[in-house]
Amino acid sequence: MLEQLSSGFVELRREEVLETIKMRIEKGEAPLSILDDARQGMILVGDQFQEGILFLAEMMLASEIFKESVAILKPYMDQSRPSKSKGKIILATLKGDIHDLGKNILSTLLEGQGFQVFDLGVDVEPTVVLEKAKEIEPDFIGFSALITTVFKYMRDAADLLEKEGLRDKIKLMVGGGVTNNTLKEHLNADFQTTDAMAGVAYCLKMMEERQHA
Amino acid sequence: MRSETMTSKERLECAINLEKPDRVPIAILGNTSAMAGLVGEKYWEVVKKGYIAQFETELKFFDTYGGWDGVHAPLTSEIYYLGGLKVNPPSEASPEIQILEEELATVEDYEIIAEDGMNLFIVEHLIERAYGKDTSGKYLKIWQDTLVALSRSLKEYGKRGAHFIFPVLLTHPFFKLSLTRSMIKFTEDLYFRPELVEKALQKMTDELIQTYSSMADPNVYLTMGLVEERAGGFFYPMHIFERFWWPYTKQIINAFWKKGIKIWLHLDTCWDKNMHYFKDLPRGSTIIDLDGTTNIFSAKEQLRNHLAISSDVHPALMSLGKPQEVEAYCKKLIDDVGDDGGLVLCTGCCLPVATKKENFEAMLKTGKTYELSK
Repeated sequence: MLEQLSSGFVELRREEVLETIKMRIEKGEAPLSILDDARQGMILVGDQFQEGILFLAEMMLASEIFKESVAILKPYMDQSRPSKSKGKIILATLKGDIHDLGKNILSTLLEGQGFQVFDLGVDVEPTVVLEKAKEIEPDFIGFSALITTVFKYMRDAADLLEKEGLRDKIKLMVGGGVTNNTLKEHLNADFQTTDAMAGVAYCLKMMEERQHA
Repeated sequence: MRSETMTSKERLECAINLEKPDRVPIAILGNTSAMAGLVGEKYWEVVKKGYIAQFETELKFFDTYGGWDGVHAPLTSEIYYLGGLKVNPPSEASPEIQILEEELATVEDYEIIAEDGMNLFIVEHLIERAYGKDTSGKYLKIWQDTLVALSRSLKEYGKRGAHFIFPVLLTHPFFKLSLTRSMIKFTEDLYFRPELVEKALQKMTDELIQTYSSMADPNVYLTMGLVEERAGGFFYPMHIFERFWWPYTKQIINAFWKKGIKIWLHLDTCWDKNMHYFKDLPRGSTIIDLDGTTNIFSAKEQLRNHLAISSDVHPALMSLGKPQEVEAYCKKLIDDVGDDGGLVLCTGCCLPVATKKENFEAMLKTGKTYELSK
Protein backbone atom coordinates (compact mmCIF):
# COMPACT_ATOMS: atom_id res chain seq x y z
CA MET A 1 0.00 0.00 0.00
CA LEU A 2 1.29 3.44 -0.89
CA GLU A 3 1.95 5.82 1.94
CA GLN A 4 1.13 8.76 -0.31
CA LEU A 5 -1.41 7.98 -2.98
CA SER A 6 -0.52 11.09 -4.97
CA SER A 7 3.08 10.01 -5.55
CA GLY A 8 1.85 6.80 -7.17
CA PHE A 9 0.40 8.86 -10.02
CA VAL A 10 3.64 10.74 -10.61
CA GLU A 11 5.66 7.51 -10.56
CA LEU A 12 3.08 5.66 -12.69
CA ARG A 13 2.74 2.87 -10.12
CA ARG A 14 -0.61 1.68 -11.43
CA GLU A 15 -1.05 -1.57 -9.51
CA GLU A 16 -0.07 -0.01 -6.20
CA VAL A 17 -2.36 2.98 -6.69
CA LEU A 18 -5.38 0.80 -7.45
CA GLU A 19 -4.58 -1.58 -4.62
CA THR A 20 -4.20 1.32 -2.17
CA ILE A 21 -7.56 2.77 -3.18
CA LYS A 22 -9.30 -0.58 -2.69
CA MET A 23 -7.71 -1.04 0.72
CA ARG A 24 -8.64 2.45 1.89
CA ILE A 25 -12.23 1.89 0.77
CA GLU A 26 -12.30 -1.41 2.63
CA LYS A 27 -11.08 0.37 5.74
CA GLY A 28 -14.13 2.62 5.51
CA GLU A 29 -12.42 5.82 4.46
CA ALA A 30 -14.64 8.43 2.81
CA PRO A 31 -14.41 8.00 -0.97
CA LEU A 32 -14.27 11.75 -1.52
CA SER A 33 -11.20 11.98 0.65
CA ILE A 34 -9.51 9.25 -1.43
CA LEU A 35 -10.61 11.00 -4.62
CA ASP A 36 -9.09 14.23 -3.34
CA ASP A 37 -5.77 12.43 -2.89
CA ALA A 38 -6.01 11.01 -6.39
CA ARG A 39 -6.75 14.49 -7.73
CA GLN A 40 -3.78 15.78 -5.81
CA GLY A 41 -1.73 13.18 -7.68
CA MET A 42 -3.01 14.47 -10.99
CA ILE A 43 -2.26 18.05 -9.94
CA LEU A 44 1.31 16.97 -9.19
CA VAL A 45 1.47 15.23 -12.57
CA GLY A 46 0.26 18.45 -14.22
CA ASP A 47 2.79 20.55 -12.33
CA GLN A 48 5.63 18.23 -13.30
CA PHE A 49 4.47 18.30 -16.89
CA GLN A 50 4.54 22.09 -16.91
CA GLU A 51 8.01 22.04 -15.41
CA GLY A 52 9.15 19.72 -18.22
CA ILE A 53 9.83 16.81 -15.85
CA LEU A 54 6.97 14.64 -17.10
CA PHE A 55 5.93 14.29 -20.74
CA LEU A 56 2.56 13.97 -22.42
CA ALA A 57 2.78 10.16 -22.68
CA GLU A 58 3.37 9.95 -18.94
CA MET A 59 0.47 12.29 -18.31
CA MET A 60 -1.66 9.98 -20.45
CA LEU A 61 -0.64 6.97 -18.39
CA ALA A 62 -1.34 8.86 -15.16
CA SER A 63 -4.73 9.86 -16.61
CA GLU A 64 -5.51 6.23 -17.30
CA ILE A 65 -4.67 5.35 -13.71
CA PHE A 66 -6.88 8.21 -12.54
CA LYS A 67 -9.78 6.96 -14.67
CA GLU A 68 -9.41 3.48 -13.21
CA SER A 69 -9.28 5.00 -9.72
CA VAL A 70 -12.50 6.93 -10.30
CA ALA A 71 -14.16 3.76 -11.60
CA ILE A 72 -13.31 1.99 -8.34
CA LEU A 73 -14.55 4.91 -6.24
CA LYS A 74 -17.69 5.74 -8.20
CA PRO A 75 -20.08 3.14 -6.69
CA TYR A 76 -19.22 4.42 -3.21
CA MET A 77 -19.36 8.09 -4.14
CA ASP A 78 -23.00 7.87 -5.18
CA GLN A 79 -23.81 7.32 -1.54
CA SER A 80 -21.94 10.36 -0.31
CA ARG A 81 -22.30 14.09 -0.83
CA PRO A 82 -21.32 15.41 -4.24
CA SER A 83 -17.99 17.16 -4.53
CA LYS A 84 -18.05 20.80 -5.59
CA SER A 85 -17.18 21.34 -9.23
CA LYS A 86 -14.57 23.93 -10.18
CA GLY A 87 -16.43 24.68 -13.38
CA LYS A 88 -18.33 23.07 -16.24
CA ILE A 89 -16.90 22.36 -19.66
CA ILE A 90 -18.27 20.81 -22.83
CA LEU A 91 -15.70 19.04 -25.02
CA ALA A 92 -16.29 17.81 -28.54
CA THR A 93 -14.60 16.85 -31.78
CA LEU A 94 -16.97 18.17 -34.41
CA LYS A 95 -18.58 16.69 -37.49
CA GLY A 96 -16.33 14.77 -39.85
CA ASP A 97 -13.40 14.42 -37.44
CA ILE A 98 -12.98 11.19 -35.49
CA HIS A 99 -9.72 11.95 -33.65
CA ASP A 100 -10.10 12.03 -29.89
CA LEU A 101 -6.71 11.48 -28.28
CA GLY A 102 -6.06 15.12 -27.34
CA LYS A 103 -9.65 15.70 -26.28
CA ASN A 104 -9.63 12.63 -24.06
CA ILE A 105 -6.40 13.69 -22.38
CA LEU A 106 -7.80 17.15 -21.68
CA SER A 107 -11.01 15.63 -20.40
CA THR A 108 -9.23 13.44 -17.87
CA LEU A 109 -6.89 16.22 -16.77
CA LEU A 110 -9.79 18.59 -16.20
CA GLU A 111 -11.67 15.96 -14.21
CA GLY A 112 -8.52 15.46 -12.20
CA GLN A 113 -8.57 19.16 -11.39
CA GLY A 114 -12.19 19.01 -10.24
CA PHE A 115 -13.98 20.28 -13.35
CA GLN A 116 -17.24 18.75 -14.47
CA VAL A 117 -16.62 17.56 -18.02
CA PHE A 118 -19.35 16.85 -20.54
CA ASP A 119 -17.54 15.00 -23.31
CA LEU A 120 -19.79 14.78 -26.36
CA GLY A 121 -17.38 12.51 -28.25
CA VAL A 122 -16.35 12.70 -31.90
CA ASP A 123 -18.15 13.53 -35.15
CA VAL A 124 -20.53 15.82 -33.27
CA GLU A 125 -23.06 18.12 -34.97
CA PRO A 126 -22.77 21.80 -33.93
CA THR A 127 -26.47 21.79 -32.98
CA VAL A 128 -25.78 19.05 -30.41
CA VAL A 129 -23.20 21.31 -28.78
CA LEU A 130 -25.71 24.15 -28.70
CA GLU A 131 -28.40 22.01 -27.07
CA LYS A 132 -25.98 20.79 -24.44
CA ALA A 133 -24.83 24.34 -23.78
CA LYS A 134 -28.41 25.46 -23.25
CA GLU A 135 -28.99 22.54 -20.91
CA ILE A 136 -25.97 22.78 -18.64
CA GLU A 137 -24.81 26.41 -19.04
CA PRO A 138 -21.09 25.61 -19.17
CA ASP A 139 -18.22 27.94 -18.35
CA PHE A 140 -16.18 26.62 -21.27
CA ILE A 141 -16.63 24.86 -24.58
CA GLY A 142 -13.60 23.18 -26.12
CA PHE A 143 -13.29 21.89 -29.67
CA SER A 144 -10.49 19.57 -30.72
CA ALA A 145 -9.38 19.07 -34.34
CA LEU A 146 -6.84 17.12 -36.32
CA ILE A 147 -8.22 17.83 -39.78
CA THR A 148 -9.03 21.09 -41.47
CA THR A 149 -12.48 20.20 -42.81
CA VAL A 150 -13.81 20.55 -39.27
CA PHE A 151 -13.04 24.29 -39.18
CA LYS A 152 -16.32 25.19 -40.83
CA TYR A 153 -18.28 23.23 -38.23
CA MET A 154 -16.38 25.02 -35.49
CA ARG A 155 -17.48 28.25 -37.09
CA ASP A 156 -21.08 27.01 -37.32
CA ALA A 157 -21.03 26.10 -33.62
CA ALA A 158 -19.56 29.49 -32.66
CA ASP A 159 -22.23 31.25 -34.76
CA LEU A 160 -25.02 29.21 -33.16
CA LEU A 161 -23.80 30.14 -29.69
CA GLU A 162 -23.64 33.78 -30.73
CA LYS A 163 -27.13 33.70 -32.22
CA GLU A 164 -28.58 32.19 -29.05
CA GLY A 165 -26.92 34.85 -26.90
CA LEU A 166 -24.73 32.31 -25.12
CA ARG A 167 -21.35 33.24 -26.48
CA ASP A 168 -20.57 36.03 -23.97
CA LYS A 169 -21.14 33.68 -21.05
CA ILE A 170 -18.84 30.94 -22.35
CA LYS A 171 -15.12 30.82 -23.03
CA LEU A 172 -14.55 29.15 -26.38
CA MET A 173 -11.37 27.05 -26.64
CA VAL A 174 -9.83 25.24 -29.61
CA GLY A 175 -6.98 22.77 -29.67
CA GLY A 176 -5.27 20.15 -31.79
CA GLY A 177 -2.49 19.71 -34.29
CA VAL A 178 -4.00 21.76 -37.12
CA THR A 179 -5.09 24.69 -34.95
CA ASN A 180 -3.20 27.93 -34.62
CA ASN A 181 -3.81 31.61 -34.07
CA THR A 182 -5.32 32.00 -37.54
CA LEU A 183 -8.09 29.62 -36.52
CA LYS A 184 -8.54 31.33 -33.17
CA GLU A 185 -9.09 34.65 -34.93
CA HIS A 186 -11.35 33.07 -37.54
CA LEU A 187 -13.62 31.76 -34.78
CA ASN A 188 -13.18 34.71 -32.48
CA ALA A 189 -12.28 32.07 -29.89
CA ASP A 190 -10.89 32.94 -26.48
CA PHE A 191 -8.06 30.41 -26.37
CA GLN A 192 -6.07 28.10 -28.66
CA THR A 193 -3.43 25.53 -27.86
CA THR A 194 -1.79 22.31 -28.97
CA ASP A 195 -0.89 21.58 -25.34
CA ALA A 196 -3.55 19.95 -23.12
CA MET A 197 -1.96 21.19 -19.91
CA ALA A 198 -2.03 24.76 -21.18
CA GLY A 199 -5.77 24.23 -21.67
CA VAL A 200 -6.15 23.15 -18.07
CA ALA A 201 -4.11 26.13 -16.87
CA TYR A 202 -6.33 28.45 -18.89
CA CYS A 203 -9.52 27.01 -17.37
CA LEU A 204 -8.13 27.32 -13.85
CA LYS A 205 -7.03 30.90 -14.47
CA MET A 206 -10.39 31.92 -15.92
CA MET A 207 -12.31 30.41 -13.01
CA GLU A 208 -10.03 32.15 -10.54
CA GLU A 209 -10.53 35.47 -12.30
CA ARG A 210 -14.27 34.92 -12.34
CA GLN A 211 -14.28 34.32 -8.57
CA HIS A 212 -12.40 37.53 -7.95
CA ALA A 213 -14.47 39.60 -10.37
CA MET B 1 12.73 38.01 -63.91
CA ARG B 2 15.51 35.47 -64.38
CA SER B 3 14.73 32.15 -66.05
CA GLU B 4 14.97 28.77 -64.41
CA THR B 5 18.28 27.07 -65.08
CA MET B 6 17.66 23.68 -63.46
CA THR B 7 15.35 20.74 -64.02
CA SER B 8 13.12 19.67 -61.14
CA LYS B 9 15.42 16.75 -60.43
CA GLU B 10 18.53 18.97 -60.36
CA ARG B 11 16.75 21.52 -58.19
CA LEU B 12 15.59 18.95 -55.65
CA GLU B 13 18.98 17.24 -55.54
CA CYS B 14 20.73 20.55 -55.15
CA ALA B 15 18.55 21.53 -52.18
CA ILE B 16 18.83 18.23 -50.36
CA ASN B 17 22.58 18.23 -50.96
CA LEU B 18 22.58 21.51 -49.01
CA GLU B 19 23.41 23.70 -51.96
CA LYS B 20 21.57 26.70 -53.36
CA PRO B 21 19.39 25.90 -56.41
CA ASP B 22 18.14 28.41 -59.02
CA ARG B 23 14.96 28.67 -56.94
CA VAL B 24 13.46 26.76 -54.05
CA PRO B 25 12.13 23.33 -55.15
CA ILE B 26 8.47 22.66 -54.36
CA ALA B 27 7.16 19.24 -53.33
CA ILE B 28 3.52 18.56 -52.55
CA LEU B 29 2.75 15.80 -50.08
CA GLY B 30 -0.87 14.89 -49.70
CA ASN B 31 -3.64 12.36 -49.73
CA THR B 32 -5.78 12.18 -52.86
CA SER B 33 -8.68 13.54 -50.78
CA ALA B 34 -7.11 17.02 -50.67
CA MET B 35 -6.15 16.98 -54.34
CA ALA B 36 -9.63 15.89 -55.47
CA GLY B 37 -11.20 18.84 -53.67
CA LEU B 38 -8.90 21.28 -55.42
CA VAL B 39 -9.95 20.07 -58.86
CA GLY B 40 -13.66 20.05 -58.02
CA GLU B 41 -13.97 16.29 -57.70
CA LYS B 42 -15.83 14.50 -54.93
CA TYR B 43 -13.26 12.27 -53.33
CA TRP B 44 -15.85 9.98 -51.78
CA GLU B 45 -16.99 9.17 -55.32
CA VAL B 46 -13.49 8.89 -56.81
CA VAL B 47 -12.41 6.48 -54.08
CA LYS B 48 -15.11 4.00 -55.08
CA LYS B 49 -13.49 3.69 -58.51
CA GLY B 50 -10.26 2.35 -57.04
CA TYR B 51 -6.59 3.18 -56.86
CA ILE B 52 -5.99 3.92 -60.55
CA ALA B 53 -8.85 6.46 -60.61
CA GLN B 54 -7.24 8.22 -57.67
CA PHE B 55 -3.96 8.37 -59.54
CA GLU B 56 -5.81 10.01 -62.48
CA THR B 57 -7.23 12.61 -60.07
CA GLU B 58 -3.76 13.39 -58.77
CA LEU B 59 -2.46 13.81 -62.30
CA LYS B 60 -5.34 16.15 -63.12
CA PHE B 61 -4.48 18.13 -60.00
CA PHE B 62 -0.86 18.43 -61.10
CA ASP B 63 -1.86 19.62 -64.58
CA THR B 64 -4.55 22.02 -63.37
CA TYR B 65 -2.13 23.97 -61.22
CA GLY B 66 0.80 23.94 -63.62
CA GLY B 67 2.91 21.40 -61.79
CA TRP B 68 5.80 21.55 -59.34
CA ASP B 69 9.06 19.73 -58.71
CA GLY B 70 8.56 16.85 -56.28
CA VAL B 71 5.77 14.26 -56.53
CA HIS B 72 4.91 10.88 -55.02
CA ALA B 73 2.61 7.96 -55.76
CA PRO B 74 -1.00 8.35 -54.54
CA LEU B 75 -1.55 8.04 -50.80
CA THR B 76 -5.04 6.58 -50.77
CA SER B 77 -7.18 4.59 -48.38
CA GLU B 78 -5.99 1.41 -50.19
CA ILE B 79 -2.45 2.07 -48.99
CA TYR B 80 -3.69 1.92 -45.42
CA TYR B 81 -5.40 -1.39 -46.19
CA LEU B 82 -2.07 -2.83 -47.32
CA GLY B 83 -0.63 -1.76 -44.00
CA GLY B 84 -3.45 -3.42 -42.06
CA LEU B 85 -4.68 -0.09 -40.75
CA LYS B 86 -8.35 0.67 -40.53
CA VAL B 87 -9.52 3.94 -42.05
CA ASN B 88 -12.91 5.61 -42.28
CA PRO B 89 -14.67 5.34 -45.64
CA PRO B 90 -14.41 8.87 -47.08
CA SER B 91 -17.80 10.61 -47.28
CA GLU B 92 -19.22 14.00 -48.16
CA ALA B 93 -19.24 15.00 -44.49
CA SER B 94 -15.75 13.63 -43.97
CA PRO B 95 -13.71 13.43 -47.18
CA GLU B 96 -10.41 13.19 -45.31
CA ILE B 97 -8.79 9.77 -44.89
CA GLN B 98 -8.64 9.19 -41.13
CA ILE B 99 -7.15 6.23 -39.35
CA LEU B 100 -9.62 4.55 -36.99
CA GLU B 101 -7.25 3.73 -34.21
CA GLU B 102 -8.17 0.52 -32.46
CA GLU B 103 -6.31 -2.04 -30.41
CA LEU B 104 -5.87 -4.42 -33.34
CA ALA B 105 -2.77 -6.10 -31.93
CA THR B 106 -2.41 -7.58 -28.45
CA VAL B 107 0.50 -7.90 -26.05
CA GLU B 108 0.92 -11.52 -27.18
CA ASP B 109 1.45 -10.35 -30.76
CA TYR B 110 4.85 -8.84 -29.97
CA GLU B 111 6.32 -12.35 -29.89
CA ILE B 112 4.74 -13.20 -33.23
CA ILE B 113 6.03 -10.00 -34.81
CA ALA B 114 9.49 -10.58 -33.35
CA GLU B 115 9.50 -14.07 -34.83
CA ASP B 116 7.76 -13.64 -38.20
CA GLY B 117 8.10 -9.94 -38.91
CA MET B 118 5.44 -7.29 -39.40
CA ASN B 119 4.87 -7.97 -43.10
CA LEU B 120 3.62 -11.49 -42.46
CA PHE B 121 1.74 -10.39 -39.36
CA ILE B 122 -0.17 -7.85 -41.47
CA VAL B 123 -1.16 -10.45 -44.05
CA GLU B 124 -1.95 -13.24 -41.63
CA HIS B 125 -3.59 -11.27 -38.82
CA LEU B 126 -3.94 -7.53 -39.05
CA ILE B 127 -5.96 -7.15 -42.25
CA GLU B 128 -8.47 -9.72 -41.08
CA ARG B 129 -8.82 -8.02 -37.71
CA ALA B 130 -9.30 -4.62 -39.34
CA TYR B 131 -11.44 -5.56 -42.32
CA GLY B 132 -12.52 -9.17 -41.98
CA LYS B 133 -11.26 -12.09 -44.04
CA ASP B 134 -10.05 -11.11 -47.51
CA THR B 135 -12.13 -13.50 -49.57
CA SER B 136 -12.16 -11.44 -52.75
CA GLY B 137 -8.41 -11.16 -53.28
CA LYS B 138 -8.52 -7.46 -52.43
CA TYR B 139 -4.99 -7.45 -51.01
CA LEU B 140 -3.43 -8.75 -54.21
CA LYS B 141 -5.55 -6.48 -56.38
CA ILE B 142 -4.43 -3.39 -54.49
CA TRP B 143 -0.79 -4.45 -54.78
CA GLN B 144 -1.23 -4.91 -58.51
CA ASP B 145 -2.92 -1.51 -58.85
CA THR B 146 -0.26 0.28 -56.85
CA LEU B 147 2.48 -1.20 -58.99
CA VAL B 148 0.64 -0.21 -62.17
CA ALA B 149 0.01 3.29 -60.81
CA LEU B 150 3.62 3.65 -59.68
CA SER B 151 4.88 2.72 -63.11
CA ARG B 152 2.39 5.07 -64.78
CA SER B 153 3.23 7.81 -62.28
CA LEU B 154 6.89 7.58 -63.16
CA LYS B 155 6.07 7.83 -66.84
CA GLU B 156 3.44 10.58 -66.65
CA TYR B 157 5.18 12.81 -64.12
CA GLY B 158 8.47 12.20 -65.94
CA LYS B 159 6.90 13.53 -69.16
CA ARG B 160 5.85 16.61 -67.22
CA GLY B 161 9.35 17.22 -65.88
CA ALA B 162 8.58 16.43 -62.22
CA HIS B 163 10.68 14.08 -60.13
CA PHE B 164 9.69 11.44 -57.60
CA ILE B 165 10.67 12.34 -54.06
CA PHE B 166 10.15 8.77 -52.84
CA PRO B 167 8.58 5.54 -54.14
CA VAL B 168 6.75 4.85 -50.90
CA LEU B 169 6.26 6.50 -47.52
CA LEU B 170 7.19 3.78 -45.06
CA THR B 171 5.83 3.72 -41.52
CA HIS B 172 8.52 3.77 -38.85
CA PRO B 173 8.45 0.56 -36.75
CA PHE B 174 7.74 2.58 -33.58
CA PHE B 175 4.80 4.39 -35.22
CA LYS B 176 3.52 1.17 -36.75
CA LEU B 177 3.39 -0.57 -33.40
CA SER B 178 1.74 2.46 -31.83
CA LEU B 179 -0.96 2.45 -34.51
CA THR B 180 -1.62 -1.26 -34.31
CA ARG B 181 -1.65 -1.46 -30.51
CA SER B 182 -3.28 2.03 -30.14
CA MET B 183 -1.35 4.81 -28.53
CA ILE B 184 -2.20 4.38 -24.87
CA LYS B 185 -1.73 0.59 -24.91
CA PHE B 186 1.58 0.98 -26.75
CA THR B 187 2.71 3.57 -24.20
CA GLU B 188 1.88 1.13 -21.42
CA ASP B 189 3.98 -1.46 -23.25
CA LEU B 190 6.93 0.93 -23.51
CA TYR B 191 6.85 1.54 -19.78
CA PHE B 192 5.76 -1.84 -18.44
CA ARG B 193 6.87 -4.41 -21.09
CA PRO B 194 9.91 -2.80 -22.74
CA GLU B 195 11.72 -6.01 -23.72
CA LEU B 196 8.78 -7.25 -25.76
CA VAL B 197 8.62 -3.99 -27.66
CA GLU B 198 12.36 -3.95 -28.31
CA LYS B 199 12.35 -7.44 -29.80
CA ALA B 200 9.59 -6.50 -32.22
CA LEU B 201 11.20 -3.18 -33.10
CA GLN B 202 14.49 -4.84 -34.02
CA LYS B 203 12.82 -7.42 -36.21
CA MET B 204 10.74 -4.76 -37.95
CA THR B 205 13.79 -2.57 -38.49
CA ASP B 206 15.76 -5.40 -40.07
CA GLU B 207 12.77 -6.31 -42.20
CA LEU B 208 12.21 -2.74 -43.37
CA ILE B 209 15.83 -2.36 -44.41
CA GLN B 210 15.90 -5.71 -46.17
CA THR B 211 12.59 -5.24 -47.99
CA TYR B 212 12.90 -1.66 -49.13
CA SER B 213 16.55 -0.74 -49.52
CA SER B 214 16.68 -2.57 -52.84
CA MET B 215 13.57 -0.74 -54.08
CA ALA B 216 14.90 2.77 -53.68
CA ASP B 217 17.05 3.25 -56.76
CA PRO B 218 18.63 6.69 -56.24
CA ASN B 219 18.65 7.23 -60.00
CA VAL B 220 14.87 7.01 -60.08
CA TYR B 221 13.76 8.30 -56.69
CA LEU B 222 15.16 11.16 -54.72
CA THR B 223 14.80 9.46 -51.34
CA MET B 224 12.95 6.78 -49.39
CA GLY B 225 10.07 8.12 -47.31
CA LEU B 226 9.72 7.31 -43.61
CA VAL B 227 6.94 8.64 -41.42
CA GLU B 228 6.86 9.06 -37.66
CA GLU B 229 4.17 11.02 -35.83
CA ARG B 230 4.59 10.03 -32.22
CA ALA B 231 8.09 9.37 -30.98
CA GLY B 232 9.14 13.00 -30.51
CA GLY B 233 9.39 15.10 -27.37
CA PHE B 234 5.83 16.30 -27.80
CA PHE B 235 4.73 12.92 -26.44
CA TYR B 236 7.67 11.03 -25.00
CA PRO B 237 10.60 11.79 -22.70
CA MET B 238 14.12 11.48 -24.01
CA HIS B 239 14.79 8.15 -22.29
CA ILE B 240 11.96 6.60 -24.30
CA PHE B 241 13.12 8.29 -27.51
CA GLU B 242 16.71 7.20 -26.92
CA ARG B 243 15.80 3.61 -26.19
CA PHE B 244 12.92 2.85 -28.57
CA TRP B 245 13.27 5.20 -31.52
CA TRP B 246 16.64 6.76 -32.08
CA PRO B 247 18.75 3.54 -32.35
CA TYR B 248 16.35 1.98 -34.88
CA THR B 249 16.08 5.21 -36.84
CA LYS B 250 19.88 5.43 -37.08
CA GLN B 251 20.04 1.81 -38.23
CA ILE B 252 17.54 2.55 -41.01
CA ILE B 253 19.13 5.81 -42.12
CA ASN B 254 22.66 4.40 -42.06
CA ALA B 255 21.68 1.25 -43.96
CA PHE B 256 20.04 3.26 -46.75
CA TRP B 257 22.82 5.86 -46.72
CA LYS B 258 25.40 3.14 -47.34
CA LYS B 259 23.52 2.39 -50.55
CA GLY B 260 23.45 6.05 -51.51
CA ILE B 261 19.81 6.54 -50.54
CA LYS B 262 18.62 9.44 -48.44
CA ILE B 263 15.64 9.27 -46.09
CA TRP B 264 12.76 11.73 -46.33
CA LEU B 265 11.84 11.75 -42.65
CA HIS B 266 8.28 12.97 -42.26
CA LEU B 267 7.96 14.09 -38.65
CA ASP B 268 4.57 15.16 -37.34
CA THR B 269 3.97 16.91 -33.99
CA CYS B 270 6.61 19.02 -32.26
CA TRP B 271 10.21 17.73 -32.35
CA ASP B 272 11.88 20.81 -30.84
CA LYS B 273 13.29 18.78 -27.96
CA ASN B 274 14.77 16.14 -30.26
CA MET B 275 16.21 18.26 -33.04
CA HIS B 276 19.79 18.28 -31.79
CA TYR B 277 19.95 14.47 -32.07
CA PHE B 278 19.71 14.71 -35.85
CA LYS B 279 23.10 16.40 -35.98
CA ASP B 280 24.58 12.95 -35.33
CA LEU B 281 23.33 11.65 -38.68
CA PRO B 282 25.67 11.68 -41.69
CA ARG B 283 25.67 15.06 -43.42
CA GLY B 284 23.11 15.12 -46.23
CA SER B 285 21.68 11.69 -45.37
CA THR B 286 18.21 12.84 -44.33
CA ILE B 287 15.59 15.43 -45.22
CA ILE B 288 13.75 16.59 -42.13
CA ASP B 289 10.11 17.11 -43.12
CA LEU B 290 8.18 19.08 -40.49
CA ASP B 291 4.45 19.67 -40.03
CA GLY B 292 4.22 23.24 -38.81
CA THR B 293 4.30 22.50 -35.10
CA THR B 294 8.08 22.10 -34.76
CA ASN B 295 9.91 25.44 -34.81
CA ILE B 296 11.36 25.23 -38.32
CA PHE B 297 13.54 28.31 -37.87
CA SER B 298 15.22 26.90 -34.79
CA ALA B 299 15.56 23.53 -36.56
CA LYS B 300 17.32 25.28 -39.43
CA GLU B 301 19.84 26.91 -37.12
CA GLN B 302 20.60 23.58 -35.50
CA LEU B 303 20.84 21.65 -38.76
CA ARG B 304 22.28 24.36 -41.00
CA ASN B 305 24.69 22.94 -43.56
CA HIS B 306 24.08 19.45 -42.20
CA LEU B 307 20.58 18.26 -43.16
CA ALA B 308 17.99 19.68 -45.54
CA ILE B 309 14.52 20.63 -44.32
CA SER B 310 11.19 20.48 -46.09
CA SER B 311 8.00 22.23 -45.08
CA ASP B 312 6.03 24.00 -43.54
CA VAL B 313 3.12 26.16 -44.64
CA HIS B 314 0.66 25.53 -41.80
CA PRO B 315 -2.63 23.69 -42.55
CA ALA B 316 -4.68 26.44 -40.89
CA LEU B 317 -2.94 29.06 -43.01
CA MET B 318 -3.65 27.11 -46.19
CA SER B 319 -7.29 26.62 -45.15
CA LEU B 320 -8.23 29.94 -43.56
CA GLY B 321 -5.50 32.43 -44.44
CA LYS B 322 -5.36 34.95 -47.26
CA PRO B 323 -3.11 34.49 -50.32
CA GLN B 324 -1.00 37.48 -49.20
CA GLU B 325 -0.38 35.74 -45.87
CA VAL B 326 0.62 32.50 -47.61
CA GLU B 327 2.93 34.45 -49.89
CA ALA B 328 4.52 36.30 -46.96
CA TYR B 329 5.13 33.07 -45.05
CA CYS B 330 6.61 31.29 -48.08
CA LYS B 331 8.97 34.24 -48.60
CA LYS B 332 10.01 34.04 -44.96
CA LEU B 333 10.74 30.33 -45.34
CA ILE B 334 12.73 30.91 -48.51
CA ASP B 335 14.71 33.77 -46.95
CA ASP B 336 15.32 32.32 -43.51
CA VAL B 337 15.35 28.54 -44.02
CA GLY B 338 16.41 28.40 -47.67
CA ASP B 339 18.91 31.25 -47.57
CA ASP B 340 21.86 28.93 -48.14
CA GLY B 341 19.84 26.18 -49.84
CA GLY B 342 18.71 23.06 -48.03
CA LEU B 343 14.98 23.86 -48.24
CA VAL B 344 12.19 22.08 -50.08
CA LEU B 345 9.01 24.17 -49.93
CA CYS B 346 6.12 22.05 -48.75
CA THR B 347 2.93 22.29 -46.70
CA GLY B 348 3.05 21.41 -43.00
CA CYS B 349 2.30 17.66 -42.80
CA CYS B 350 0.13 16.97 -45.86
CA LEU B 351 -1.84 19.28 -48.07
CA PRO B 352 -5.01 19.87 -46.03
CA VAL B 353 -8.40 19.01 -47.49
CA ALA B 354 -9.81 22.47 -46.72
CA THR B 355 -7.02 24.23 -48.66
CA LYS B 356 -8.28 27.28 -50.53
CA LYS B 357 -7.49 27.23 -54.24
CA GLU B 358 -6.08 30.77 -54.15
CA ASN B 359 -3.79 29.88 -51.23
CA PHE B 360 -2.39 26.87 -53.02
CA GLU B 361 -1.80 29.00 -56.08
CA ALA B 362 -0.07 31.63 -53.94
CA MET B 363 2.25 29.00 -52.49
CA LEU B 364 3.20 27.66 -55.91
CA LYS B 365 3.64 31.11 -57.44
CA THR B 366 5.82 32.35 -54.60
CA GLY B 367 7.99 29.25 -54.76
CA LYS B 368 8.39 29.50 -58.49
CA THR B 369 8.98 33.23 -58.85
CA TYR B 370 10.20 34.89 -55.65
CA GLU B 371 13.89 34.14 -55.93
CA LEU B 372 14.00 34.47 -59.70
CA SER B 373 12.49 37.93 -59.52
CA LYS B 374 15.00 39.25 -57.00
